[in-house]
Formats: sequence, C-alpha cells, structure tokens
Amino acid sequence: MIARMCGLALLVLALADAAAFADENSDLDLIPEAATQRPGPAPAAPAGAANQRLYLEDAFTATARRGGLLVPFPPPKPASWQERLFLDARKQWALDDRLNFTLSDRFNLRAQDNLDFPNHENTINDFREGYASWEALDRTYLDAGRINLKSGVAVGFNPTDFFKTRAVVDPLSVDPTVLREDRVGTLMGLGERIWQGVTLMFAVAPKLYDPTPVYNNTNLRSFDPSLDRTNAHERFLVKGSANLADDFAPELLVYHEANRTSFGANLTKGIGQKTVAYAEWAGGRRSSLIDEALRYGRLTGTLPPTAPSAIPEDPARHFQTQLSIGGSYTTESKITFNLEYHFNQAGFSRRDWTNWFGVGSAPTASAAITRQLWYIRSYAAEQQELLAEQSLFLRFDWVDAFIPRLELTGFINTDLYDGSSLIQMTADYHLSDAWTVGGLVIADVGRARSDFGSLPQAASVLFRLARYF
Amino acid sequence: MYKRGSMRGVWVLALLALAVAAPAQAETAQEIIAASDKIRNPQEPFRSTNTLTEFIAGKPRDQNVLVVYAKEDPATHQFRNLIRYVAPARDQGKMVLLDSHALWFYDPNSKASVRISPQQRLIGQAAIGDALTVNLAIDYTGTLLGDETIQDAGRKDRQCWHLDMKAATDQAVYNRVEYWVEHGTHYPVKAKFYSDSGRLLKILYYRGFEEQLGRIRPTEAIIIDAVDTSLVTTFKFGDFHAQNIPDAWFQRDYLPRLQPE
Repeated sequence: MIARMCGLALLVLALADAAAFADENSDLDLIPEAATQRPGPAPAAPAGAANQRLYLEDAFTATARRGGLLVPFPPPKPASWQERLFLDARKQWALDDRLNFTLSDRFNLRAQDNLDFPNHENTINDFREGYASWEALDRTYLDAGRINLKSGVAVGFNPTDFFKTRAVVDPLSVDPTVLREDRVGTLMGLGERIWQGVTLMFAVAPKLYDPTPVYNNTNLRSFDPSLDRTNAHERFLVKGSANLADDFAPELLVYHEANRTSFGANLTKGIGQKTVAYAEWAGGRRSSLIDEALRYGRLTGTLPPTAPSAIPEDPARHFQTQLSIGGSYTTESKITFNLEYHFNQAGFSRRDWTNWFGVGSAPTASAAITRQLWYIRSYAAEQQELLAEQSLFLRFDWVDAFIPRLELTGFINTDLYDGSSLIQMTADYHLSDAWTVGGLVIADVGRARSDFGSLPQAASVLFRLARYF
Repeated sequence: MYKRGSMRGVWVLALLALAVAAPAQAETAQEIIAASDKIRNPQEPFRSTNTLTEFIAGKPRDQNVLVVYAKEDPATHQFRNLIRYVAPARDQGKMVLLDSHALWFYDPNSKASVRISPQQRLIGQAAIGDALTVNLAIDYTGTLLGDETIQDAGRKDRQCWHLDMKAATDQAVYNRVEYWVEHGTHYPVKAKFYSDSGRLLKILYYRGFEEQLGRIRPTEAIIIDAVDTSLVTTFKFGDFHAQNIPDAWFQRDYLPRLQPE
C-alpha cells in the first residue's frame, strides 16, 4: 500500500515537473515567426557616420496673447503666429588621426505676423559651433574656435553652466534640455587633459565686442555670427573632476568674467537601479538681478543713463548662491521623472515682486517705467537666469507612451512664492527612422499678479514635421 | 598483521569505489554563473556592433545599431562599457557610458552628459542595462534551484541548471533574475527578469551560438516584453574585434572626445 502511494506521489511529482517545463516552454510561443529568422551578419558601423546629424524641419507656432495685463507690455507685442523652416546640421570631420573639425549650424527661414515680408529678418543663420580640435598628446586636447561649452548635472537649471548667458536664439521650445541644444557657442581657446579618474580643463574667451542691447525676436542678426552675445567680456573657466571614492566624483569650477569670480560644484549619486540624486551649486560676489539688469540697460543705451530705478535696487555686492538639487526616478513602465528644487539668491524675492507689480500697475506708471520693469525680465530671460528666487521643477520623459513610437515629454516649473507655473507638453511621433511629426503646447498659468500669470503670452501651440538624413 | 593489512586493503578498495562512483564535485551556483559569463563575454577588451530590431505584433518595426566598447575592470571584475548610437539618423552620435559606478548619457547635440539609472529605456523594450556587457556573477548572488530540461530558442531540448539570482549590487539592472544554463557547456539558454515587486518584466532567449574571439558564444538574443507580449526585441551581436581600449575612455569627460572607428 505504502509502495503504491509512494509510486503515485512520484508520478504526481513527475507530471507536475513536466507541466512546469511545458509551461516554461510555452514562452517560446510568444516569439513571432519573423523574429526567429536568422538575420544576416550584423552590419559593421559605417565609418564616421556617428558624428553627424542633418535634418530639415518645418514648425508652425500659434500664440494666444493675454489681455488685461497688470503691467502693460511695451511694444513690439509677441508674435501671434510664426512659420519657420530650417536646416540643421552638425558634423565632425577627421582631418588627421589627431585633428578634427566640428561645424554646427542652423539656417532658418521664418515669417511671423509682427515682421514685414520680405525682410532680412526672414533669414536667420545660427552659427552654433565651428572649431578645430587637436589631440596634442594622448588624451591632451587643444581646441580653438566657436565652442559650445556646457557644464552641470541638473536638468531644469544649471548654475554652473556659465557660458549659457545670451546664447539662446529665438527658441521653439522652452524645455531646458532643448535650450541647451539650440544655442550658440563662445569663441574661445580650450585645453583639456584626461587622466585616469582625473580631468582638468581650462577655457579662455577673449573680449571682441562691447556689450550690446538685449535682443527680441524682431531684431535678430541675419547672417552675423552674433559674437557680441558671447564675447563681450574676457571669460576664464577652470574645471576639474576626480574620482575620490566609491561613486564620489565631484566636479569643481572657477569662473571669471568682468571683475566677477564665481565658484561651482557638481555631484551625482546613484541610489539603486532606478534613482539618481544630484546637486549643482554656484556662488560668487555679485549684486541682485534687478541691479545687474538696470546697469546693463544703461550701459547698452536701452535705458537712459541717468534714469532712476523704478523699483528699489541694491547695488552692493554680496556672496550669492544658486542651487539646483534633485533627482531622477524611472518607473517600471520606463517613464523617467526629474524633480528639482531651484534657488537663485539674486532673483526676485517676495518684496521684489510686490514692488514690481505695485509700481507697474499704479495709475501713475508711465511707459518709461513699465518698459524698465519689463526690461528686467527680458534681461533675465536672455541671461537664462532664474527670475524667481525659489522654484520647483518636475519633468517627465516617456518613450513609447500608450503606443509605440510616441514619445511624450513635459515639464512644469512653479514659482514657489506665488504658485504660478510654466507648463510645456511635447509629443513626438516617429513615422519612420527618417520622419518625425510632433507638437507641443506651452502655457503660462497663474493669477494676474504672479510670475507666469503676468506674461503677455498665455499659451502657444506648435506643430512640427522633421526629416532626418 | 595480515588481518590489519586485509582491513586496510578493504578500506582502500572502498574509497576507490566511492571515488569512481561519486560524481565530480558539484559546481556552485556562483561558479555556474561565472562560467556562463565567460561564454557570453570575451575576456579581452573588445568592440562589437549590435543591431536591435523591434517587433510589434509579429511585424518588424524599427532597427537600431549600436557600437559597444567593453573592457573588464581588473579591480572589480565587472565590465566597463561605452555604447555609441550609429542608427537611426536622429540618434547618431549619442553615447552611454558605464564606468565602475555610474551610467552617463551623452548627447552631442546638447553636448551635455546626464547621469541616468540602468532602468532608463535605451531603445524599444530594451533598457540600457540590457545592452551592457556585464558579468552577472558580480552583480547577482545565485541559488541553484535544480536541473531542468527546457527548450532553447530553436525548440531544442537542453539539460539546464535552473538558477535564481538576486541583485547583489546597486549596479544590477534587475532585482531578480531566473537563469537557465546548459549543463557541461555552460551556454546561457534563457533568463527571466523581475521587478522589485516581483513582477515578471522580460523573458530572454540566447541563440546563434558561433565562434567569436576564440570561443563559441551566443550572437543573438530575443527579448520578450512580459507585460505586453506583443512586443519583442532581437539583439544581433556581431562585428567583434579585440581592441586595446584605454581605461581613460571609460569616464564621463572622455565622451565628447570619442572618435568613431
């Protein structure tokens, strides 16, 4: 009896095992027939092809203006529509084993409702980069030319990205990751040495022009390389990083421009398989954003040299800090979120906002006063400096969202004082390897008396079609 | 004396019999995983070209080509990786770096390096971690569950060790992996990848065993998305070249300097 029971148990176990293996083998049924075909040999990577990108894009933007602004916006009004066709090219040529040349350029044809047609403003060429790079010794490099030099580990705001000022020309998107791409470089000489675990870099940019007035999108240079944007001061940067310990490789920076020295630091840390934490800091002696803007306006002739400040300014220089701290997290469904806290000590405090709205919305506010108030904000935008003293930034990136080939990205940047926000949602659908169609929506949301709610643009919509070559 | 000598002889004979009858000392789970790592990964620094093809509902959709540079770090015995996107055109020149501790994504268009996590998506259903050359024995601690006969990607029966592997480091891409390794050859046959919550994420089959850089290795992998089973990605590993890769390449600051071969 016992023997029969044991036999039965063994039979049951054997059948269970067989069922388990059969279940394991059923995974093979999920492989489509086409995927089981033996592919040919993997192609060798085409030589040099990985160092170029060429595409043609057409983009149409419609913008809804906001009425009843508390602080009237000076003319010209923002365009209510813009049509832009551009050819964007980036290519690197190897001239020698140790010498190469890089060119990055975008040629734009554009029309918009606040521009006459035809007009030299209809053609804008963004000469982003053109430089030679020579590997003088193994992993010792000397570069010269117009170079887009970037720094920073954060996504929404990079305090250590010292060469970002005035570098963005008429962007189509306000996503910080796109702004890093669509900007012009600085004419400079650069040296870099990469050791094992240690890197040291220095960059020197000469002064070629005196500071020029802040641009708006109706007075851009047509074919001029706009070096006045990037080479209006002598600029020096020294940057170094070292692997000091397990997952501890800080990067330190010292930057000098126009009698002002700043210091910076970058640090990242991986936490598990899905999370990365990072912090980016810069600090130095400087005056407030309001004071810097007004001084620049007077210097460049946009504001009368003797014009009094419409709102209180503090010309004294203090050690002021900029900070971006946050992290990224990737979900199981492969959505990556970045959440960051941004701090700009020189930016607008609550008192500055109260002054800005109080003076600008007063019945006695003249056109000169409101122009001065808006000048401060346009200066901050061109400098890519945070206007808000404190803000919160959340961004997501979702590849194959809902359906394959659809990529959704979006972000919200919220001023922590008044809760107003800048929101952008982007959708790109890859029709094929060569064609991409997409669109984005930008909205400035908030009360009339708030950072983003006081802007003349309420929302804009963009449609784009791109062909990659 | 005779009696004692006779007893000694019996003992010697018994021990000899045991030695003949007993199987060779069984391999530990970690030894099996390590041996399989040597099959999957060339031991010398190398460059390969990987072609990823995505299938949706049985139809091929997109194809992507990556060049991978890999070199084992003698200090950690884990691989350091550089991945360069070659196709499609819109992604050309982008790079991913795995140094000993961190993953970085470099975009030549923005000239910015962003630190990323292994879970971030690479292409299609493949995470970045799927395309990296890794020694699983370093990132995971294995337990031998038993022997099983399962079918490989070609529906051929394979006698396998069935292993359960748990993440041992933060660099491990997945929290848990089930792994089937063929007896004797140590050929990897199949793997199942699980999330932190225990959810089955992907099923992987190895195939296309060919001689590459001095050893028979799998040159193809099929990844089935276990969450949406209509999505399948195939990897073709080819164009292997042994290459002397300087250690300095595997650091973030070198990414803008890397020149295509």
